[in-house]
Amino acid sequence: MNISRMLLGAAGIAMTAGLAHADAHSGDTSEMRIALSNNYAGNSWRQAMLQTWKESTAQAVADGVVAAADAYTTSENQATEQAAQIQNMILQGYDAIVLNAASPTALNGAVKEACDAGVIVVSFDGIVTEPCAYRIAVDFAQMGREQVEYLATRLADGGNLLEIRGLAGVFVDDEISKGIHEGVDNNDQFEIVGSVHGDWAQDVAQKAVAGILPSLPEVVGVVTQGGDGYGTAQAFEAAGRDTPLIVLGNRQDELQWWAEQRDANGYETLSLSIAPGVASLAFWVAQQVLAGEEVPQDLTVPFLKITQADLDEALASTPEGSVANVSYFLEDAQQVIADAE
Amino acid sequence: MNKPWIWAWLAAALAFSATLGLTSGRGASELAYAALSFGAFAAIVGLGQMLVITLGPGNVDLSIPATMTLAATLALKAMGGNPGTALMGLGIALSVGVAVGVANYALIFLLRLPPIIATLAASLVYQSFAIWSNRGLRIKPPQDLADFSTGRLLGLPNVAWVGLVLACITWVVLERSVWGRWLLASGQNLRAARLAGIPVELVRASTYVTVAVFAAIAGFLLASFSGGAALNMGAEYLLMSIAVVVIGGSSIAGGDSNVPGVWGAALFMFLVVSMLNSYGAGAGVRNVLTGTIIIGIVIAASSRRIRA
Repeated sequence: MNISRMLLGAAGIAMTAGLAHADAHSGDTSEMRIALSNNYAGNSWRQAMLQTWKESTAQAVADGVVAAADAYTTSENQATEQAAQIQNMILQGYDAIVLNAASPTALNGAVKEACDAGVIVVSFDGIVTEPCAYRIAVDFAQMGREQVEYLATRLADGGNLLEIRGLAGVFVDDEISKGIHEGVDNNDQFEIVGSVHGDWAQDVAQKAVAGILPSLPEVVGVVTQGGDGYGTAQAFEAAGRDTPLIVLGNRQDELQWWAEQRDANGYETLSLSIAPGVASLAFWVAQQVLAGEEVPQDLTVPFLKITQADLDEALASTPEGSVANVSYFLEDAQQVIADAE
Repeated sequence: MNKPWIWAWLAAALAFSATLGLTSGRGASELAYAALSFGAFAAIVGLGQMLVITLGPGNVDLSIPATMTLAATLALKAMGGNPGTALMGLGIALSVGVAVGVANYALIFLLRLPPIIATLAASLVYQSFAIWSNRGLRIKPPQDLADFSTGRLLGLPNVAWVGLVLACITWVVLERSVWGRWLLASGQNLRAARLAGIPVELVRASTYVTVAVFAAIAGFLLASFSGGAALNMGAEYLLMSIAVVVIGGSSIAGGDSNVPGVWGAALFMFLVVSMLNSYGAGAGVRNVLTGTIIIGIVIAASSRRIRA
């Protein structure tokens, strides 16, 4: 619960404001069925996402809020495969589809078919551009800017930065990187001297950083995209360099490493990422739409930010090897909806 | 002189000096050390893939990434980070390798599936096992194992020693043993080999088991090296394993393998990315250039073979 509060605080939302709306869900959705269409399950973030979906929706089904909330994942992370999956869901008569899409545009046809058949589509994380769908988007560029802003508060003299990017060609990677470069433009004491693709994976990041480090001058800070901070730290250690200020991405191994460094030498940094529990937020938004609530098409979800003060608590509540998470509830969904209006 | 492997080493040396040209020589030993560490994983899976490709047209193992993930996941979960369990973990990884190899060959032999289809389909099953067994949680390796895999001996990374020993064994077996001759003969002409009395199915079975065991060793070491097994840890080793075989000068049509070339190509694949990153090339430019360079080396290596 405390993490949940932290998160809301990060977005500048007061929890109490949402309670005024808490009794606003008028329509009865107890006979309705919601499906999760998910394009990929092959990393710890997606596994945590599916786990949160299972827990949140099981409770909702037990409470009689909805009749069913089934999760389906495609095996090959292909847009064509997911389009077929969505068509099956339409035929199976689901009332709403919660969607983490393989592509922002390639599923638009299938999403339109769903809308035309009267099915509500709520996309999150991997959103779709089809206008009839709802989007729970993350301001990824803001995530990049905030990293540089944070570095500016810590490193007044500025210096050289190393940028770890995500998976080349993916929208999220472009957005975060854009935000980072905007941040650097606004803080000209910093210069990005190297940029590698870590594919959001510790081992890939470690390899890429080890390869570029010999050619780099002294690096004072590392801006990342999540899932790559621990590998980066290991590469710096293996090269015998001083550990720079690495912005982390909420993975348990990153938090664990941070706590160890803090205890050993007072290391201080910031960790931020998107909580996998955003799937539960999408579920509640879909439920609100089904209940007949007025919901804007475009919603924004806040980041989950962990600071030095929250580290121990976040580490204690994150399962070993997983990613810091938070479950969203009906009130959170209503708050996000209210903020967008 | 028939030495198609020389091209991979030449390209690796060029990429190495081009990177150092940027720093006027600073960081040479760090770069070499990193290349040997990370090249070792590509070399180990590459050696296995080379044996399979040597079996002849149509033979390839596409289940390498899933095998790496499954072996690493099960081994690290069983060890649970407890000290003194490294050998048990290695045993589990090797058993996974043998089991996967036997399963792959069973699909190929009993169901008469083409190896591409059999190993690709089976890899979905292995990946699902890995997901199911640990839900993607990264469990840390025991400290002694982590120290070993990131440590060094006589100035070389330990993982590179493992890769070098496996390469030497592979070379001796291929060049000096009956089994190696059988493998080359099967790859050059399966029918002729069978008529000559070579137990070709035994050769194929043992080759598919060997590649899976090599992949399991690579996965086990990589997870120990990078602080835990991740579900997507093997992803980049699918194309990598095939690329190092081809760049290393082995014949993609089979029957002609090349052990030193695999190591040269593995070093090259790491160094070329480091070089392009150091020069600040974006992802698009980097992929285009990497592809172009690979094509160039393959042409150089194969035209050399034709002349010879």
